[in-house]
Amino acid sequence: MPEGLSVRGLAASWDRRPVLSDVSFTVAEGEFVTLMGPNGSGKSTLLRSLVGLEPIDAGEIRLAGRLLNGVPTHRRGIGLLFQEPTLLPRRTVRENVAFGPEIQGIPNAEVDARVDEMLELLHLAPLADRPSHALSGGERQRVALARTLAARPSLVLLDEPFASVDPEIRAELRAEFRSVLRSRGIAVVHVTHDRDEGLFLGDRVLLLSEGRLVQVGPPDEVYQHPRTRAVARFLGYNVTAGTRGARAVHPSDVRLGASGEGLPGRVLASGSVGRGWVAYVDLSNGERWETRGGEDRPRPPAGEAVTVRWTRDVPLQD
Amino acid sequence: MTRRRGPTPHLLPLIGFVALFGLLPAVLLFIGGWSQLGANGSLKALSDPLNRQAVENSLVQGSLSAVAAVAVGYPVGVLLGRYEWRGQSTARALLVVPFLLPTIVVVLGIEDLFGPSGAVSSVLPALSIFGAGLPGIVAVNVSYNAPLVALLTAVGIESAPVDLEETVATLGGSPWRRYLVAWGPSSWRGALAGGLLAFVFSALAFAAPLLLCGARCYTLEARVWSLAEVLLSPGEAAVVASAMTLLLLVPLLIYLVLVLRPPVGAGPRGGRRPSLPWRSPTAWPLLGIGLAVLGGFVLLLGSVLVRGVTARATGGSAGSAWSPLFGANVTRELGISTFGALGNSLFFAAVAATIAIVLGILAGFRRPSARETGLRAYLFLPLLISPIVLSFGLATFWRPLLGGNGSVWLLIVLSQATLGLPFALQGLDVALASVAPRFRESVETLGASPFVAYLESELPLVRPALVAAGLFAFALGLGEFTATYFLATPSFTTLPVEMYRLEGLRQPGLADAIAALLVVVSLATFAALQRVGGRVLA
Repeated sequence: MPEGLSVRGLAASWDRRPVLSDVSFTVAEGEFVTLMGPNGSGKSTLLRSLVGLEPIDAGEIRLAGRLLNGVPTHRRGIGLLFQEPTLLPRRTVRENVAFGPEIQGIPNAEVDARVDEMLELLHLAPLADRPSHALSGGERQRVALARTLAARPSLVLLDEPFASVDPEIRAELRAEFRSVLRSRGIAVVHVTHDRDEGLFLGDRVLLLSEGRLVQVGPPDEVYQHPRTRAVARFLGYNVTAGTRGARAVHPSDVRLGASGEGLPGRVLASGSVGRGWVAYVDLSNGERWETRGGEDRPRPPAGEAVTVRWTRDVPLQD
Repeated sequence: MTRRRGPTPHLLPLIGFVALFGLLPAVLLFIGGWSQLGANGSLKALSDPLNRQAVENSLVQGSLSAVAAVAVGYPVGVLLGRYEWRGQSTARALLVVPFLLPTIVVVLGIEDLFGPSGAVSSVLPALSIFGAGLPGIVAVNVSYNAPLVALLTAVGIESAPVDLEETVATLGGSPWRRYLVAWGPSSWRGALAGGLLAFVFSALAFAAPLLLCGARCYTLEARVWSLAEVLLSPGEAAVVASAMTLLLLVPLLIYLVLVLRPPVGAGPRGGRRPSLPWRSPTAWPLLGIGLAVLGGFVLLLGSVLVRGVTARATGGSAGSAWSPLFGANVTRELGISTFGALGNSLFFAAVAATIAIVLGILAGFRRPSARETGLRAYLFLPLLISPIVLSFGLATFWRPLLGGNGSVWLLIVLSQATLGLPFALQGLDVALASVAPRFRESVETLGASPFVAYLESELPLVRPALVAAGLFAFALGLGEFTATYFLATPSFTTLPVEMYRLEGLRQPGLADAIAALLVVVSLATFAALQRVGGRVLA
């Protein structure tokens, strides 16, 4: 696939404190990449640096081969969706969607055509004449996407756009955004700290920790083979420092026994999660582990003394 | 804070205070004036050439001052509200200082700079026109009101969502387009609110026309004072005062609508304000005006201080005015010592600030929501009542009821509290609005009554704002001249009034020394404000 976005050696700081260090990655045209990491890892700063809203200290940003360093935000051709949709007040849905093409000086007929297309694409036609403040959270976010796409950006950045949407609408909206963006063939960088969302949406996943990219790859591969403690912890693994070095153990690979071989511990709390259960065990070595089981295994009661074993682990590099 | 609706007893003291000491005296004053003169006599009084001249003066001075204040204040507001730069919060806090200075001190400063042999006019003689007359009055009004416009503009810009601007940028909007769509309208709204207040305050100016121009430049405010106190025509004064209040009703109501009703989509969200583009040509005029305002301000204060410190008594050497200022002659001439006037100033201002804060605390428990515009406007009603109307009304209605001249100190305190109330309320209101209801709710779930929960959870969180509002009300009282001058008797004279009387006794050296004293007290209050409430002011 042809290269869309290329980032090399990017560094940025906030109040002289480094926030991003030596970040390099590419996003191909039409590719949907999710950028994940815990709070404070630098995800939003990276996104804002790409679009020119934060100054960078070093590195280069290219879009379709064009160097963007020093190019003002409004000339980069990058669309950005915020967590809170920022619709223009006192304008209707149609007027909001038309805003980008209008300021690009596109003839009215084409503006109308683009707006109609976007309204259809995002099922907003019935709301076209509604004022922006009279929309629900999900509708506002769809209008924001329609408006971004109507400006025909080469790259779309999504900064946790579903975080403030009701959970029952979130899943539907994720699928709709994914489908729409894929249909337009636009490169997308989607920031989230929700690992399920990131793994579901991304063609590739970028893991950021303390301002550095620590792992990049397809979602399955990253999930099955976390490389570092930070990545393993973010993906929900238990991390243990054994004699064979640090290892990641998935909660569903943990087995609890009443006695015998294994690390001794005590169940701190347990509870049902859908058809399965989850339990947290305080181990005698000071670690706290999560374990999950299904209907085939009994849920351990809180306070019970147990031994902990695991069927599979992943070696970590740090 | 917005969940509790319906009447609550906690608002009653404030509603009652505004009614008893603001609305009632003013309305009774107007009714008294109209019934004394009758409809025909009242209309005849209003068509009197001198009264019409006062209307014209008010409109001209108000309009010119408002336009000049917006021209100077808007760029400073953009500099403060739009960009991030080092020293910004200090510069912003400095804008509060003019509010803390008595008008009479600013008048003196303008005379020092632009009057005959003034510091500026001796270097640039062309600027001597600002030393007296209409230009001088406008210069004084701008000194007060340009910072007000700047602050309201900055607040307006900050209420524009930063991420909306960023969105417009990502959609291809140029900096000019971002200004037009995202943050410009909020800045215009702020500047308009500031301009309206500047118009009202300037149209009501008292000390500046009195000292810099005389009767031919009297505003309605000065004319009402003259009719009531000099020409002893209280009926005509009351009728003119009613016309003045009506005239200023429209701009003040528009101001209240602008301030009390947040625009759709307002509220800063996400994003970071851009750094000041030092190298961009857009920044140069902003910086130039900002530096000119700062320089002018420092010059004004410096001039008053230097002149005060080196003030001469008649025929004396530099600094010789200070000794007679605290001597027996002054006490004999004015009927009060300077220490007595200083004590009065501090006492009146402290009691007035306490009243304003106690009422503010009670009202904070049940802040009117944004939709309760009528109730909010009512609480800001004292803005509609000019200092002269207020003091005139208090003197006419309350002085006889409270026991005559012995109650003057109380009337001064009530007038200062009433005039400072809207500012104290606004400061507290803004701070309380930023506190999430969950703080109070969590304390309520522990068993505290709603009012106790408010006192224990929300109020401590806004303590800096509370102290700042109190100090601000104190400083306003300390510098209040118009109402206090109208009410004061020799025993209840304050420093600004003593200063004006010394000018009248042709003792300019002693008046200069008092001006310096007032500047020092005002700067000390500013320092205290900065220390305890700097974050709130910034």
